[in-house]
Parts: sequence; C-alpha cells; structure tokens
Amino acid sequence: MLSRSISRQVVRNHIRCVASTSVEFRRSFVSPSSTDRASVTDVGPAVVRQIQEDMFAPRADMLGFKLDVQPQAKNSSDLKARPIYLDMQATTPLDPRVLDAMLPYYTDMYGNPHSRTHAYGWEAEKAVDEARQYVADLIGADQKDIVFTSGATESNNMAIKGVARFHKEKKRHIITTQTEHKCVLDSCRKLSEEGFDVTYLPVQPNGVISLHELEAAIRPDTCLVSIMAVNNETGVIQPLKEIGAIVRKHRGVYFHTDAAQAVGKINIDVDAMNIDLMSISGHKIYGPKGVGAAYVRRRPRVRLEPIINGGGQERGLRSGTLPSTLVIGLGEACRIAKHEMARDHAHVSALADRLIKGISAKVDHVVRNGDPNGYPGCVNLSFAYVEGESLLMALKEVALSSGSACTSASLEPSYVLRALGAAEDMAHSSLRFGMGRFTTEAEIDFVTEKIVATVNRLRDMSPLWEMVQEGIDISSIDWSQH
Amino acid sequence: MASVPSRAALLQLYSNTLRTSKSFSSYNFRNYFIRRTRDTFKSIQNEQDPDKLTRFYDEASKELEVLRRAALINGMYGGQKLVVEREGAVRLRGDT
Ligand SMILES: Cc1ncc(COP(=O)(O)O)c(C=O)c1O
Repeated sequence: MLSRSISRQVVRNHIRCVASTSVEFRRSFVSPSSTDRASVTDVGPAVVRQIQEDMFAPRADMLGFKLDVQPQAKNSSDLKARPIYLDMQATTPLDPRVLDAMLPYYTDMYGNPHSRTHAYGWEAEKAVDEARQYVADLIGADQKDIVFTSGATESNNMAIKGVARFHKEKKRHIITTQTEHKCVLDSCRKLSEEGFDVTYLPVQPNGVISLHELEAAIRPDTCLVSIMAVNNETGVIQPLKEIGAIVRKHRGVYFHTDAAQAVGKINIDVDAMNIDLMSISGHKIYGPKGVGAAYVRRRPRVRLEPIINGGGQERGLRSGTLPSTLVIGLGEACRIAKHEMARDHAHVSALADRLIKGISAKVDHVVRNGDPNGYPGCVNLSFAYVEGESLLMALKEVALSSGSACTSASLEPSYVLRALGAAEDMAHSSLRFGMGRFTTEAEIDFVTEKIVATVNRLRDMSPLWEMVQEGIDISSIDWSQH
Repeated sequence: MASVPSRAALLQLYSNTLRTSKSFSSYNFRNYFIRRTRDTFKSIQNEQDPDKLTRFYDEASKELEVLRRAALINGMYGGQKLVVEREGAVRLRGDT
C-alpha cells in the first residue's frame, strides 16, 4: 500500500515536471512573444463602452456623487485619510477577536449545525450551543430561551406580531412609545391595519416615559407592552425594572423590550427586570451584521405565532438553517461584552465627558437632548442657529449622523426629538455622537476642534445669529409677514 | 493545571502582548489593545493569590494567540490612515 502510493506520487511528480518544462520552453520571463504571434481579441468599442458604463458611471441614485476607486488603497501614502467614525449607534466595527472566532467556520468547519449524522454537523452544533450560552449569560437568561434571528429588526417583528397574533381572539391592544425604533413602530402600524388598537405613550421632556401613564394605559385586553431599553438617537434609558414590575402585575400582559442598543453596554437581567421578550442585534455590539437574537421566556411560557415557517429550527419560532458562522460571531461578541462591559462603560463615559466639556467650553447655545443619565456612548447635541445638515456637510472628516441611520437620508426633523418636545429648529440642528470601545481620546479632541470651528464659522455666516447677537428675540418675530 | 507563573513569565507575556497590540494596522484597534493590555496587566500587578495568577496567565496566553492572528489579518485588509493619524504622530504617541 505504502509503496504503491509512493510510486504513484513519483510518477505524478514526474508528469508534472515534464508538463511545466514544456510550458517554460515556449514562454518564459525573458522571451517575449514576437509581434506576429501576439493575438489580441478585439472586443469592439461597444463592449468597452458597456463595461465602462456598468462599472464606473455613477448610478442615478448616487445623486451625482462619484465613486472613488481605490484598489490597494493602504499602500499608497498620498491617499485621502479616512474620517473619524462617531456613528456607533448605526453600527460598530467588528471586533478583531470576533472575526478570529468566526474564521474557522468560514474555512474547514462549514457543517450545517442541524446535520445530525456526521462530525461536520456536530462541531458546528457544538459551537452554536456555546454561542447560545454566551448570549444567555450576558442577559441572565437560560440558553434554551435564546432564538437566533437575522437581527433586531426581525426579532422585533417576531415578538410584536407574534405575540399579538397568537392572542388575537381575546386581546387586541398593544402599548408602545413614540420614541421607538422605526421597525417597532412599523410593526405596530401593520397590526393596527389588522384591527389591533395601539397606544403610543408620550415621553417626558427628558425622553423617559411616565410610569403612571403606562399603568393607566394597560387595559383588560392588552397583550403586549413594547418599550425600548436604550434609545438609538438620544441614549435615553427607560426604567426597565419598574416597567417590568408594573407589567408583571397584570396577568396575560407580556413585556417586550428592544435592547439592540443596550445589550452589552448596560446591565440587563431578564429575571430581575421581568422581561418576557427581548431583541438583540449583533452589529451593535462589535459582532457581525445580519445576525441577532430574540429572548423568548419559557417559564412562564410566552407563546407566539412564528413569522417564518419551515423545518422547525429554533423551537419552531424561526425556521431555516442557522448561519452558524454569524451566530458564533454574535456569541463571541457577547462573551467579550460581558467581560469588557465595566471597562467599556468607564472609557465611553470619560470620552463623553471630554466631548461635552470641550464643546461647551467654546460654543454657546448647545443643548443636550435627552436625559443626561442615559447611555454615555450616545450624546445628542443641538447647536442652535445652525442647520444640522449643513454642519454634517461641512464636517467631512467626521462620520456622524444627525439622527438614526434609517432617517438620516430624509430632511425631516427627527420624530424622536420632536417627541421629547424639541422645537423644530432645534431638532433640525442636532448631531448624534456615537462613541464606543475603539474610540480614542485623540479622536474626541480632533472632533471637538472641528465642531467648534465649524459651528462658529456657520454662525458667523448666519443672519439669524447676527440678530441673536444684537439681542433680538427670534421667536417673537412673525416670519409670515415678510 | 500549570504551576504558578513566575514574575518573569508574566513580564514576558506582557511585553509580547504589548508588542502584538502595537502591530495592529488599524489605528482604533491598535490603540484599544495597547490600552487594554496595559490595563489588564496593571490590574494583577499586586495580585498574590496563586489561583488567580494562574488563571490570568492561562487566559492571557490564549488571548495572545488570538491577537497574533487578528493582527496579521488586520494587516492584510485594514490600516488605511485616519485623519487623526495624518495630523501628526506626536499627538498619538502620547499614549503609546
Ligand atoms: C433600537 C434599535 N432597534 C433595532 C435596530 C435594527 O437592528 P438590526 O439592524 O439588527 O435589524 C436598531 C438599529 O438600527 C436599533 O437602534
């Protein structure tokens, strides 16, 4: 056996040698082919034009922006430097440690975690189970309560529509707040089209709901209270423990919280907070995009109607083969988050302090939107007499958002800030500073410097600002007469 | 379980981890891992409990392997300069 395989190897090597020498004989580095033998297939000008158009022409939806083609960008030194990223609520960078945990499952360990008959399946399943445990540990849950999804949007849809539709014979009322993420509000809108009653609780000027109003809003036919943990635009933290206690007093009412911006950043304990359902997103906690989780309590059991039907994976709540690599990334991100939460929080708090102090020392009329005791990694500031969009345009070296990622393309003032009672002009002039684990002090100093310079420059050009300086009360002017 | 790590072994691990952290190409990752390495090793500087020291050593050794691979991959795909880096290395090097 051994000798046979060796001799076969020798023969094969021999053949390969012969083949390669014969190739080298014809073409090598030092013998260019003569012009008469060179053959270039002419593809014709039409084809070339087509390729150029397909690849390089700006598409209609790029609004005239041009695409910078920068292959091998990092090798040339004269390239434009990348802007500073302060948009951690839109998404966070993937932690290199998370990528390292994922890569084996993008190479050799590609098995389907649901395959029960071979080692490829078993190793993937084992890693998925570990990931499930890490997610559960971060929120004080049992690993059997975790359902993997494609992200917080899917988890929110699944929880809200699922609970409402399952109980629709007896219960037809849902409570949520005016400052929820679009995917919660839109799920509720869909349900109201299906005949459900939805109460949108207002928030106080600091962005926190009133517990009395919540209690008063609960009716005998209420099935679900959905209130987010940390707001994505203002960082406001809702009193989850108190809300959970109120909801628990009413039998048959379930408490769902969208914790996409909270998990891994502030302490969340599903038992202490009496949370029945919760949404988690991978890419907000330094994990991969396209994966998330839903916590669905089993004791006492929360029943819901699945949106996706199929092979019965994930307790039948979310059929479909698990993206094991992404799930493993989410698990590793949760494991790291649990370990690093205290350090990250202290770091981000210090950065937020530095930013706020630095800006308010040199710019007047800056208002912080939302409760100052919110999550410090999200600082929402309004710069009076400056337009938020022009500020963003002028701040080319900083990647910032004037609101949530999904609404920043529109020029409407943020509905979240309006719900806090911000005047339209203040809502228009807001910027959200999202800091995280990888943000540095030097970046904050750089951004502070740029903001101060830009705001002052824009104000110097503004006639409104001139009037303010002269002591004219702008709000007393009746603009319509002009 | 391995025996209690010596002071020299811990120092060696510290300098290896710090060197690996400095080898990240991306500004943000590099600065984070440098800061974190200093933090974590400082936190056990006065630790006497042999169990805790052993556990720390084992975990930090495993992490060093992760960081080594991660820094290599980061070097292959990442590391385009940020605007803060262009402003001058002097400002950044304050914490290095
Ligand atoms: C509060 C909140 N919920 C849900 C989402 C959506 O999460 P995902 O992108 O994972 O679907 C986001 C992110 O934009 C968010 O901030």
